[in-house]
Amino acid sequence: MNSRHRMALHGLALVVAASGAALAADPASAAGERLAAFYKNQVDPHFALVRAGVEAAAKEMGAGPVTHYAPTRPNNLAEQLSEIEDVTVKKPDAILFMAVDPRGVVPAIEKVNAAGIPLVNYNDRVRGGKFVSYVAADDFNLGLDAGRYLLKALGGKGNVVILEGVKGSTTSDDRVRGFHKALEENPGVKLLASQPANYQRLQALQVMENLIQSNSSIDGVMAAADVMAFGAIEALEAAGKKATMVVGIGGVPESIEAIKAGRLLATAEFNGYKMGCLATMAALRSLRKETVPDTIVIKGIVIDKTTTGPFEVPAEKRTCPKWEDYAK
Amino acid sequence: MPNNPVSATAVRSPQHWRHLFAGDGAELALRVALIVLIGSALALASDAFLSTANVLNVLRQASLIFLLAAGLTLVILCGGFDLSVAANLTLSACLAAGVIKSGLSPWLGIATALACGTAAGALNGLAVTLLRLPPFLATYAMLWILQGLAFHYMGGQEIFGFPPAFRALGTGFAFGVPVPVYLMAVVLFVATVFVRSTNVGQEIYAIGANPEAARLSGIPMRRRQMLVYMLSGLMSGIAAVVFLARVNAADSGMGEPLLLPAIAAVLIGGTSLFGGVGSVLGTVLGAIILALVINGMNLLDIRAQWQPLVVGVVLLVAVMVDLVARGRRERIG
Repeated sequence: MNSRHRMALHGLALVVAASGAALAADPASAAGERLAAFYKNQVDPHFALVRAGVEAAAKEMGAGPVTHYAPTRPNNLAEQLSEIEDVTVKKPDAILFMAVDPRGVVPAIEKVNAAGIPLVNYNDRVRGGKFVSYVAADDFNLGLDAGRYLLKALGGKGNVVILEGVKGSTTSDDRVRGFHKALEENPGVKLLASQPANYQRLQALQVMENLIQSNSSIDGVMAAADVMAFGAIEALEAAGKKATMVVGIGGVPESIEAIKAGRLLATAEFNGYKMGCLATMAALRSLRKETVPDTIVIKGIVIDKTTTGPFEVPAEKRTCPKWEDYAK
Repeated sequence: MPNNPVSATAVRSPQHWRHLFAGDGAELALRVALIVLIGSALALASDAFLSTANVLNVLRQASLIFLLAAGLTLVILCGGFDLSVAANLTLSACLAAGVIKSGLSPWLGIATALACGTAAGALNGLAVTLLRLPPFLATYAMLWILQGLAFHYMGGQEIFGFPPAFRALGTGFAFGVPVPVYLMAVVLFVATVFVRSTNVGQEIYAIGANPEAARLSGIPMRRRQMLVYMLSGLMSGIAAVVFLARVNAADSGMGEPLLLPAIAAVLIGGTSLFGGVGSVLGTVLGAIILALVINGMNLLDIRAQWQPLVVGVVLLVAVMVDLVARGRRERIG
């Protein structure tokens, strides 16, 4: 064997070794990708639905186990930032990410970008950094649809109040813009007040108690999330104002029960399960070098008494939507 | 007579403590004045403010913070601290919700909340007295333990929908006054009599004012400290029941937003973080000031982005007024 042959053999060995290493290292060529999924908190049942969707899609597509990260203090930015740093060190194959603060997380996300870990943004938009795809509900239209539904039920006249979520979050700001758009379309309806209840039930209850004091006639309430709608309903019922109609945005099990009981008029579907499914699909498809659109919008219906059916199915019995129906 | 234990006699003498309370009168009057001031401004700005319904409304909203803060006041008076009050409320409420929702008697649910609250308080007490951990750290650790147990128990879900009889504890009225307001009045009365007129209550002040002197005078320090942490836990349990009955649902994050307001109510109420100075009555006034500010902003429809700023400014003013008054009194002697 002359030296040239020897070199060629060495070369071949190197190529084989390298490709072997590449095969082992390249997650795209083998199933079992490790995903890390982020949530804003672990107290809101919406995120339990998102998590169920993530798990379902990961299992369906043969990915590896998913690790889940949520701040122990609800929507706490500092905690989420340290979680991002910890996860970057563990180098999962891809990260599903929703921000507790749309801008505050950007520097941490840029570090994840620099580490070369692909990210999918879901639920709440991040205002910076690079993402494979953004999977979310259309918050503006959720607000618009819920608002329109209420104002139609009021016959285009009367007095309403708005309960806002956390100022600065896309879920709250965009939904409230949608409410206002619906109000513009109905000049016969008067907006009495728009007050923050920060996605908290007790706060919504107390804000509503206060608003009842300063406004003798409130015909309708638009809440940027169902949990605030429930707080408002408790206050209204305690004050004997059961005729006031309340709409929210969500669709967790409690919402469906309240709609069936006639306490909540309707809610615009903010489908956590579908969001979890589609974000996971987007991440895995991207890892498997399949095409992924840069934005996937999950449209929601307005859930009222006539359409509660599909939402009564418990999370563990639901199935993920078809990718083709959303990736256009 | 240098060998005579003067300090010990002074600590035990009721007259000495009466003297301390004499100073309290001015402090409390100042807080009442602040409430009247905010109230008058709101009454001018909004017709609805001074209606009986709204006044009761503010009291009802203050009651929940007060129930949580009342126990904390005792702990702080005794020279300790309890960071676990809100997490204790969360776990107590979640467990009680689970018991009631499983079809057992609401009474059993209430007993569960009170037992859970008191037990967690007892653990705090043991950590402080037996393990001699600093109260801040011991109760901070307990905060996480209780919160962790609540997360585990709830698994990201809510428990909602309780029987009307139970809910009356939070939403009901008797003779036109909300039930939680009666509870607030009862707790205020009992706690005030306890700290002002019983030997044990005065010993709590003594321990907070000067632990070394209190120990030398033969006050059973550990037993008193155990007691205040258990009472604080019990109050978390009571607040948990009222909270649960009021919102008709439990989730594992329900208590967390109440921790800082509860601490704020105690401090705005004039209780010193260093112990030995303050009163439960002050804490009630602190809770009312907090509720009043939010109520006023809602009535006047102040926009969301301004609300935190307004709360901050009012708190600053409350503390500054207090400092100025205190400084003047000290100069006068």
